[in-house]
Amino acid sequence: MAFSVEVFSLDTLKKAAYRMSDVAVIDIAPSGENIICTMKFRQPLSAEDVDQAVSTFKLEVLDQDLRASIGTETDAMRNAILALAFSKSGLSG
Amino acid sequence: MSKFRPLTAYEEPLRDGYQLLPFRFTRLDDNDYVVTNQAGEFLVIDRSTLSDLVRHELPSTGLAYNDLKSKHVLTDADSSVATELLALKVRTKLRRLADFTSLHLFVVSLRCEHSCPYCQVSRQSDDKLAFDMTPETADKALELVFRSPSPALKIEFQGGEPLLNFPLIRHVVLKAETLNQVAGRDLQFVIATNLALLDDEVLDFCRAHDVLLSTSLDGPPDLHNLNRPRPGGDSYERTVRGIHRARGVLGRDRVSALMTTTQASLPRAREIIDEYIRQGFDGIFLRALSPYGFAIKTKSFTAYDMEKWLGFYFDGLDYILEMNKAGHFFAEHYATTILTKMLTPFDTGYVDLMSPAGIGIAAVVYNYDGNVYASDEGRMLAEMGDTTFRLGNVHNDQYEDIFLSDNLLQPLEESFASSAPMCSDCAFEPWCGADPVFHYATQGDFVGRKPESAFCTRHMAIVRRLITMMRDDENARDIFLRWVNP
Repeated sequence: MAFSVEVFSLDTLKKAAYRMSDVAVIDIAPSGENIICTMKFRQPLSAEDVDQAVSTFKLEVLDQDLRASIGTETDAMRNAILALAFSKSGLSG
Repeated sequence: MSKFRPLTAYEEPLRDGYQLLPFRFTRLDDNDYVVTNQAGEFLVIDRSTLSDLVRHELPSTGLAYNDLKSKHVLTDADSSVATELLALKVRTKLRRLADFTSLHLFVVSLRCEHSCPYCQVSRQSDDKLAFDMTPETADKALELVFRSPSPALKIEFQGGEPLLNFPLIRHVVLKAETLNQVAGRDLQFVIATNLALLDDEVLDFCRAHDVLLSTSLDGPPDLHNLNRPRPGGDSYERTVRGIHRARGVLGRDRVSALMTTTQASLPRAREIIDEYIRQGFDGIFLRALSPYGFAIKTKSFTAYDMEKWLGFYFDGLDYILEMNKAGHFFAEHYATTILTKMLTPFDTGYVDLMSPAGIGIAAVVYNYDGNVYASDEGRMLAEMGDTTFRLGNVHNDQYEDIFLSDNLLQPLEESFASSAPMCSDCAFEPWCGADPVFHYATQGDFVGRKPESAFCTRHMAIVRRLITMMRDDENARDIFLRWVNP
């Protein structure tokens, strides 16, 4: 599978690959303007199961991309809320 | 001039747009996603709504917008208190951390007259006094118990069979009560016993000192006696007789029971539940077997995999739900623990489902020989020769040495789920736990690879089922709300 570096980050692909690691080991290799992901299944699968796993991986990549967008917008707020929560707990520094 | 804005004011699109608040999402099925805010409140939305939300294309006049706003997934110029309210909810969820250790387990003897093949404790035969805790060791352990800042202290006596060393239980209870006259804690005692050795002396003492009893009941007579062999083959008869006798003296709610699932239990979830109802319990904890102690030696743990256990669990859960719909209140306690996290502002303090992990900081174990362990499972690993979770010894180490030991701090820090791979972006993480002991026992490190973790497989499957039930069946949601607010 080839993913355009214009669209997806290496980090996004790594996270998606990790989530699939019970089913397949996924090689990730940059190649020009693409990142090539090669799935090596841990057990022999039927053609139908292979298609399913590939679809699941692609969907996982989209999910991880969405998570990256959320993280970019909300990380500072998440830390601020945690700081606010702990500032009144007696547990901070 | 009216005190209220006209209805049309709420129907107009907001011009300034909205800002996302921190949230996580996980796929529920082919169509829907579960979204959780920072405090673990959740809602189910479809994929297109999720995409629109993240791209800031969600119309402010839609129903989804208001739902997401009320769950603190987004905020706008019209909701100025969202961040402070969310911080308050996060603080409420984590409030137990400040209390520190509340559950203190005393292993008063490793001796036991049962010989259960799944036993997690590595029992000794019942004539070896060398495996009993001494009063000197217990006194040292009690000093540590009362060093805990927790306003509530629960001392639970475990074994082996703790009633084989009842004089020590008596000693600990009396001494703890004396110490508590000054300490003024909310003090509670529990004896985890198979009830086979229950007698009037024990019951009179329990009544006088408000001691609770927790026992094991694995199901109908043939299954219980198969799982829990003892001389005479009468474990079931003794347990049931003990339950009723203890209730007569102590009161109905002072005796609880736990079951353990073995391979023989797997096709019999409904019979096991029927047995609990027959014995007058209003709930059951459908437990999986743990990968420790004799369960490993006798290969009981590997005898069935997590998929089979989940089939057993869901069959039991469906049966319990049917029963509740027919008007009989009966709860499944593991689901109740998770649902409490999902549907209330509070955490139950159940050690396996805490992050930071509950080891040491929620519960701690004082073994018969004075060794202190971060958890009961950590003690079981030590019985198998691995002392990774040994924190010190009551005779040699001070409170600070034990609770600041690297053997405690390292697994706590490394396993923290909010920063663990895959957990950090999992929508179910607020309802899950770190469980470094399980992952160390099964995968050799405190974090574990979650895609291959039986703990993760089990928890994800149960959470998905509970949410699906609530989404598809209003009655199920009402029943679950009764379980968490009995």
